[in-house]
Amino acid sequence: MKKNKGMIIAFMTPAVLMFVLVFLYPILRTILMSFFKIENITDSFSKWQFTGLANFSKLASTTLFKQSMWNLARIWFIGGLIVMSLALLFAVILTSGIRFKSFFRAVIYLPNIVSAVALATMWLQYVYSPKFGLLKNFFSAIGLDSLAKVQWLSNDHKFMALLLAYCFGMVGYHMLIFASGIERISQEYYEAATLDGANKFGQFRYITLPLLKGVFRTNITMWSVTSVGFFVWSQLFSTVTADTQTITPMVYMYMQIFGAGNSMTERNAGLGAAIGVMLSVIVVIIFWLCNHLLKDDDLEF
Amino acid sequence: MAKQKAQKTPFNWKRELKLAPGYLILILWITFTFMLLGWVVMASFSTTKEIFADQLLASGLHFENYSKAWFNSDVSGIFMHSLGYTVVSCTLLIVICAPAAYTLSRFDFIANKLIQTGLVSAMGVPVIMIVLPLFGLVANLGILNNVASNWLLMIFLYVGINVPYTTIFLMTFFSNLSKAFEEAAAIDGCPPTKTFWLIMLPMAQPGIITVTIFNFINIWNEYFISLIFANSDRLRPIAVGLYSMINSMKYTGDWSGMFAAVVIVFLPTFILYIFLSEKIIAGVTGGGVKG
Repeated sequence: MKKNKGMIIAFMTPAVLMFVLVFLYPILRTILMSFFKIENITDSFSKWQFTGLANFSKLASTTLFKQSMWNLARIWFIGGLIVMSLALLFAVILTSGIRFKSFFRAVIYLPNIVSAVALATMWLQYVYSPKFGLLKNFFSAIGLDSLAKVQWLSNDHKFMALLLAYCFGMVGYHMLIFASGIERISQEYYEAATLDGANKFGQFRYITLPLLKGVFRTNITMWSVTSVGFFVWSQLFSTVTADTQTITPMVYMYMQIFGAGNSMTERNAGLGAAIGVMLSVIVVIIFWLCNHLLKDDDLEF
Repeated sequence: MAKQKAQKTPFNWKRELKLAPGYLILILWITFTFMLLGWVVMASFSTTKEIFADQLLASGLHFENYSKAWFNSDVSGIFMHSLGYTVVSCTLLIVICAPAAYTLSRFDFIANKLIQTGLVSAMGVPVIMIVLPLFGLVANLGILNNVASNWLLMIFLYVGINVPYTTIFLMTFFSNLSKAFEEAAAIDGCPPTKTFWLIMLPMAQPGIITVTIFNFINIWNEYFISLIFANSDRLRPIAVGLYSMINSMKYTGDWSGMFAAVVIVFLPTFILYIFLSEKIIAGVTGGGVKG
């Protein structure tokens, strides 16, 4: 083992160095920054003013930031419900022994590999277009003229439009996770249940769902991690800076720190760091809750 | 992934009829997907007038939309930037992460578990937690004022943010390889470093290909980091470039050019996907990655 020491060091150093430079050091510094007032992001540590939790309380009393958190919560919850239900439904159908399974699966996952900017543009400029949009044409074709006239990108509908477009792109990934979980469940359970006279729905409710706990945990964690970073879609769907319908904490942070050309009231990089810390804490709490609420019950399969 | 062999059941009407609702739901969903993509592709070959009149392709295929987007609107520029970023970063990622992944999967040393935990946690860290200090540091060093140093910075960042994922993915892959190869090589007197480069790395090729596809897609589509660190004409990658292009094309009213630009951006990952979708899908769930 001793002669491997040199090799271990040589092999580990580049990766560990990158990890420390890009993750460890910035994360620790961001946490530190969140307790300081920092006028300019390039200021050295000596110019920082310690303000304790002032950044956090300031954020908690900022209307626009609260709106952004509310939007994020809606995206996480409503979007999560839509994506998880569709993903689970598709996963169940895919694993029910249908033909062309690989084809269906590949097409449903397809939006995940497309650039979000390109995908959002397709939705914005085509699906929701008031002139030649897919929705408009579809609703006029089936005679629902009142729905055909809806301005999907007006302030009243913009949030739902954004959410639906986003969910469409996310279903595929979570479907794959569910499907691989279902495929790992032994067929014997279902055979035994069929012999005992359980119908398909009962089998789903009492075999599939309980055995998918761990998979649900993975999916919810992943969904939370991606939701927290919600940015591109919001930027593409907002027509003005600080659009209250689409703003998310990431967008708010970007506006504050990297200035979107408008005069924000206060320049303080510590606020941006505090937003980061808040979001990370939320992710950790969700992760912790998932681990405790969705225990595996020592089920082996 | 379960083997697809079980699919060869003989066609049975009663069985298929039971599955009809499932077929219906999936067909509706993928029809929508195809309409979305198909319309955009058709629009990219039509004139702006035809798009607004809802008569796509009425006057045949207009390839000039593509040449206009490529040359006049400088899609070629951002395309080449991104191609450079992805190729260099993906290569560096393998050179840096494969040895680390191998070491983590094979050798027992003090920090092993700690490093693994660190890497796994890093995959869940919101990017907002790392950009502020990095930006401060980079701005202080004057890196953003010079194209060459800024380019190197982008490579550094693209590699850095993908190190945890790549290492963990390859680690699971290496731990599934039999130790018998190294034992045989050791008996023949091959030093461990050489064994890695000449025997183990080539054997990990399937895993390396899969993880490189993912890295390619991730870096090609990366937006937030690029927006902050590479927001100049000479460095802008494709996602950020497309965003500013779409904004300006909306005002110039060149809608067909805009859709052509969208198609150009999405084509590379799409072509990759057509040929490698099975590998990509197996990689999402198979590698035990991301949870």
